[in-house]
Amino acid sequence: MIRVEAISKQFVDVQALHQVSFEVGANEVVGFLGPNGAGKTTLMRMLSGFLMPDEGSIEVAGFDSIMDSQEVKRRIGYLPEYCPLYPEMRVDEFLKYRAVIKGVLGRRIRDRLQTVKMQCGLEQVGRRIIGQLSKGYRQRIGLADALIHEPELLILDEPTVGLDPHQIRQVRSLIKELAKEHTVLISTHIMQEVDAVCERVLVIRSGEVVAANTVDGFRRDASLDRSVIIEIQCEASAFNTLIESVTWIDVVGVDVLTDDWLRLDLSLQEGYSAESVFVWAAESNLALRLLQTNESSLEEAFVAAMDGKAGS
Amino acid sequence: MIRTFMCLLKRELRVLFYTPLAYAVLFFFWLLSGLNFFWLLQQLADGERLTMALQLLFNGPLLTFSLPVVVPLVTMRLIAEERRLGTLEAVLTTPISEIQFVIAKFVSAFIFYLILWLPALIYCGVIHSLCLTQDVVFLDVGVLVASFTGVIVIGLFYNAVGLLMSAFTTNQVVAAIAGFAVLFGSLLLFMLMGYSTQYEVIRNLGQFFSTFTHMLDFSRGVIDSRVVLLYLGNCIWLIYTTIRILEWKRS
Repeated sequence: MIRVEAISKQFVDVQALHQVSFEVGANEVVGFLGPNGAGKTTLMRMLSGFLMPDEGSIEVAGFDSIMDSQEVKRRIGYLPEYCPLYPEMRVDEFLKYRAVIKGVLGRRIRDRLQTVKMQCGLEQVGRRIIGQLSKGYRQRIGLADALIHEPELLILDEPTVGLDPHQIRQVRSLIKELAKEHTVLISTHIMQEVDAVCERVLVIRSGEVVAANTVDGFRRDASLDRSVIIEIQCEASAFNTLIESVTWIDVVGVDVLTDDWLRLDLSLQEGYSAESVFVWAAESNLALRLLQTNESSLEEAFVAAMDGKAGS
Repeated sequence: MIRTFMCLLKRELRVLFYTPLAYAVLFFFWLLSGLNFFWLLQQLADGERLTMALQLLFNGPLLTFSLPVVVPLVTMRLIAEERRLGTLEAVLTTPISEIQFVIAKFVSAFIFYLILWLPALIYCGVIHSLCLTQDVVFLDVGVLVASFTGVIVIGLFYNAVGLLMSAFTTNQVVAAIAGFAVLFGSLLLFMLMGYSTQYEVIRNLGQFFSTFTHMLDFSRGVIDSRVVLLYLGNCIWLIYTTIRILEWKRS
């Protein structure tokens, strides 16, 4: 769906992007992860056709972004950072206006309007003035706008920035829903967001792609599937006796919780996983109320990639 | 393509009339037109010839010197506001071209400019009906056509200057001040050059470029094709430059 070859962009004395290359297949959900100022927005703006690369080429669905920019733009639904909208317009009016300038034909506009309003949860606010709506609604209007012309590719620049946790959850679940039928590119500096919605991650630092991997790949690289946190009901001394005979578990940390349960940070040897821990706890007649992979390790893996210490 | 253009134009006109500033500008300009009409009637009552008095409707000093203020107030938000809101990015990532976008902005501002001149048209109708009832003098259609030609070509140029200034900045006030400075500055400069007695070259240059002199000629019924071409040419290169600025900011 997207082929980016060695694109570079210079703003006066700042090298925003340098020799960035990657490919994205159809119906993939790819996250661009990087700290603020890494070049994510510049890359998004180039992919959307708003900025031109100084060097290199961008191909979307087989069309060159400079030579066939109109064709490329027809295939892209773009939600810019901060979701710019016309505050004086009503929601329906705005979406109809955007549908027309994106080339949706008259008879299709009404259908598309109903569909995107339903997808984005805007049925109740069609007559409301955009400037009077909350940030969450405005973000959804931006998403509806990106979807109105049925694009093959969605480019979402920091789609959850400025939203409260409830709204973040709604937008993420909407993106997951959209990912079933669209290729989605998301830029973010929030690692949990990448984990929640993306299949593949490109880590960008100082205008360069420093790591590219699937989320599972990052997890594997960080030995995440072998770093597990559990909570069991057991006395500390009894647990020490019990664990002595288990050679494939290394206990990294033990906390005795206020209700006398034990919280354990475990590192498993190769070939073992969270399922092995579950089976072991069941066989040992241990009451188990928590079993999770260590999320902080994924965060550490991303941070290490951003610092240039990891990647593939 | 036409459908998209009409959609862009419709939005531009709506947003123009959404702002209270548009109504303030209309009120101010129409008030000046009314004062000019009142002045014209007084001159007619004093025995002035209709053709001479009619010049006041289009070339009264109140209108001539208020246009460099009024036009930038209307055009200042055209592109500056889109850039400030960030909506320029949203618009230019749709399949519409910069040309469509800029022309729609320009046409909307020009339509507003024509609305500013509506009272002058109505006053012409009033004078015409007065002429018919008095059965003495007839309104000179040639003078009217020339005057409106002047209003139109000068309006095209003024609006194109305002549009260009709006493309330079994200700040509407800066765009308005820059537009005013260019229009008022050139109006004064060429007018003063036209009155220069010492150097003939400067006087000729001033008279050739002076909007004040041009409007005076138009309102006397003189249509100089060189002047019309001068304004149309200026309008075209100003719009072209505006488009290039938008492209340049994206490159």
